[in-house]
Amino acid sequence: MIDKMMNTRLFHWVDERTDLGAIIKSQLTEYPVPKNLNYMWNFGSLALLVLVLQILTGIFLVMYYKPSAELTYGGYTVAFDSVERIMRDINFGWLIRYMHAVGASAFFVVVYMHIGRGLYYGSYKSPRELLWIIGVVILLIMQGAAFFGYLLPWGQMSFWGATVITNLFGALPVLGEYLQQVLRGGFAVGDPTLNRFFSLHYLFPLLLAAIVGGHIHALHVVHSNNPDGIDIDHEKDTIPFHPYYTVKDAMGVGFFLLGYCYFVFFQPEAWGYFIEVDNFVPANNLQTPAHIAPVWYLTPWYTILRTFEDKLMGVVAMGASLGILFVLPFLDRSKVRSARYRPVYRQMVILFFISVVVLGYCGHSAPTETLAMVGTIATSVYFGFFLLLPFVHKFEKTKPLPGGE
Amino acid sequence: MSGKADHSRRNFLYVAAGGLGAVAAGATAIPFIGSMLPAADTLAAAKTEFDISTVVEGQLVVIQWQGKPVFVVNRTAEMLERVKGHDDKLKDPNSEAVEGVQAEWMDTDEKRLYRAIKPEILIVVASCTHLGCIPLFKPTAGQKDWGDSVPSDWVGGWHCPCHGSFYDLSARVMNGSPAPQNLHVMKYEYKTDTIVVIG
Amino acid sequence: MRGITMKTTRFSLIACLMLMLAPAMASASGGVAVKHTDITFDNETLRAGLQVFTDVCMGCHSAKYITYRNLMAYPEIGISREEADELRGDKALMSGLITELSPEDGAESYGKVPPDLSLIARARRGGANYTYSILTGYVEDPDGKVEDGNYNTYYPGGRIAMPDPLAWMGHDAEETADLEEQARSVASFLAFIGDPHQLERKRIGRWVMGFLVLLTLVLWMLKREVWKDVKKH
Repeated sequence: MIDKMMNTRLFHWVDERTDLGAIIKSQLTEYPVPKNLNYMWNFGSLALLVLVLQILTGIFLVMYYKPSAELTYGGYTVAFDSVERIMRDINFGWLIRYMHAVGASAFFVVVYMHIGRGLYYGSYKSPRELLWIIGVVILLIMQGAAFFGYLLPWGQMSFWGATVITNLFGALPVLGEYLQQVLRGGFAVGDPTLNRFFSLHYLFPLLLAAIVGGHIHALHVVHSNNPDGIDIDHEKDTIPFHPYYTVKDAMGVGFFLLGYCYFVFFQPEAWGYFIEVDNFVPANNLQTPAHIAPVWYLTPWYTILRTFEDKLMGVVAMGASLGILFVLPFLDRSKVRSARYRPVYRQMVILFFISVVVLGYCGHSAPTETLAMVGTIATSVYFGFFLLLPFVHKFEKTKPLPGGE
Repeated sequence: MSGKADHSRRNFLYVAAGGLGAVAAGATAIPFIGSMLPAADTLAAAKTEFDISTVVEGQLVVIQWQGKPVFVVNRTAEMLERVKGHDDKLKDPNSEAVEGVQAEWMDTDEKRLYRAIKPEILIVVASCTHLGCIPLFKPTAGQKDWGDSVPSDWVGGWHCPCHGSFYDLSARVMNGSPAPQNLHVMKYEYKTDTIVVIG
Repeated sequence: MRGITMKTTRFSLIACLMLMLAPAMASASGGVAVKHTDITFDNETLRAGLQVFTDVCMGCHSAKYITYRNLMAYPEIGISREEADELRGDKALMSGLITELSPEDGAESYGKVPPDLSLIARARRGGANYTYSILTGYVEDPDGKVEDGNYNTYYPGGRIAMPDPLAWMGHDAEETADLEEQARSVASFLAFIGDPHQLERKRIGRWVMGFLVLLTLVLWMLKREVWKDVKKH
């Protein structure tokens, strides 16, 4: 079908001036991909889809959203009123808003699965270290974008979440106070904060679009890893991306949309996980909600932060938990990539996944002594995974790789 | 071996998938484009009520309707006389040109002449039909009050400052004006003797 | 097989955690599980709820995101222009349902400003059932410290600033059904105005899900068909 398109005169005209044919061949129809990829490899294309959805819905929301904390009747604000206007008066505004809110959570679900694939199958190892590092940058920018975006409705959670997190920056030595003021635009979270978070929330996804381009480019140079983690024979073991992975990715999109649309149309608040109950209460700077927690996708790091009593230690630990991701490729010295053939690593990485889920659970719940202890254990497992890694290759007996390598 | 049968199934599936995909894309476009149409509260502001007893004889007021300016003029008997007898100077004396310049109730000569349900009260959109500026009200005849800006045989009406279009006191556009049409008459009706509902 | 084990482990863990969290989500914060009633959006219930709202609640509360025009325009409520004119008095048709009680007076009389009720069903854990429970939950303070009409079983901490609006306390058995119906209908009304497009949303959703099932099926068949080439080798 693409060949028929490429034989038309119109295509030739464009191709002569842009080399589009060569691009289509090198990136799609002749781009080699291992033929044994499993469904864990679908999440990259899904992540791209969700990014596009978020930008699209975001642009239409911005046509009506007003980033002002000016007070209106009933303790509300212009910003909160504009969101309610979108929900009630704008044609299909409710749909676009729900797509955006559900999409934010969907983005993290998909990206966490994508990262999990990378961890399990050793996709971060040579020659894909930089690909992984660019990915970590993407994760950080996503978290930033989500954080900025959450302030915009100016509900109780929006306001207090922003207050807590900007307070964290105050903990840093020397620069802390200054950073906090630069972020807030004042002494407390207020209208200046809202305006600049709005600007940054618009900017970050566009930055993402560019960086994702770099991520895909880096991938196309070294090509995809595969579930066995072995270097493969180009001739025998690869198939062209189009049509095989285009149709497989399309099918993945179908399944994804089933889940996504179920939430958008039937459970957009997801029992308080996607849109929190307290955020339907207008922000009140004189009253903190009984229970502050960040949105679910930021909860693991929130737990790590709370593990340490000392504020600065907490911030440092939280930063380290993200920072250590950057050096992962250099911590792991094993020559074998995939956890399928690494019995010790496999257990470690599964434990790591469990620790992240547990950290998330702790971060979402009200702090109790038991939960604090559980959180501390989970934090230790989290960091333990990375700290143990440089030594694993010394004693791990890897299984024989397929193809007699 | 892939025989012809396999490829026909494959092609059918490609076409089916492509077709359904196109439907999905189209269906997705609907809410997005739809969201750009005027919102429910904007449409609800589509009607404006106005009390014409607040307009003194000979006075022009400008009110807002759907964000647009609207002239409400209380024409004196003398002004009503001055809309007669210069049909040859008008581009469209009977408001036949386009839908916007006519109204359902303009079915008699008198209605077409005065272009109003109540002859004294003229209600028109205050937007010059050339490029949208608000014309200036120059109700008295001759050049005494208006100088050179109006022709010497000026019968009274409006003069648009932007590109020089002229309208008579029934807001009908005069020959030689860049504006193509009479000032538009929007849907309105009298709820009571003094309250008019515009829109 | 090995991949499936890892995935299964992860998914089953997530499932377990969600199940653990479910009961916590169902109850009101503060521990007492809410009473459940039948929240419905039929026209009769919504009109009855609107009546309770305008007669009782609007004495102190506003619902600024609902306008008189909305009450006419939403097909689920659909009051007539005459009914709307009667309700609004000399307020504009486009204005929200605003109480005559000023925030300052409210704070003075009750200790806190009576909150706007447009979103109350979404802003409280337990939703409309919580609202119903509050309205029918006034009891005598077991410790005897709080005045009658200001102690509520379902309000976290028990001491509620809103005095018994439906006069639930001290009602006799004959009135129970009637008061419960008032509470049910106003809770339904509040649930509706919190998210007025919810019925339309679910209606469209059913079509979307049906279409997506079809689309995914076709895409799955296409994938299998195209991948036959690969399996052959």
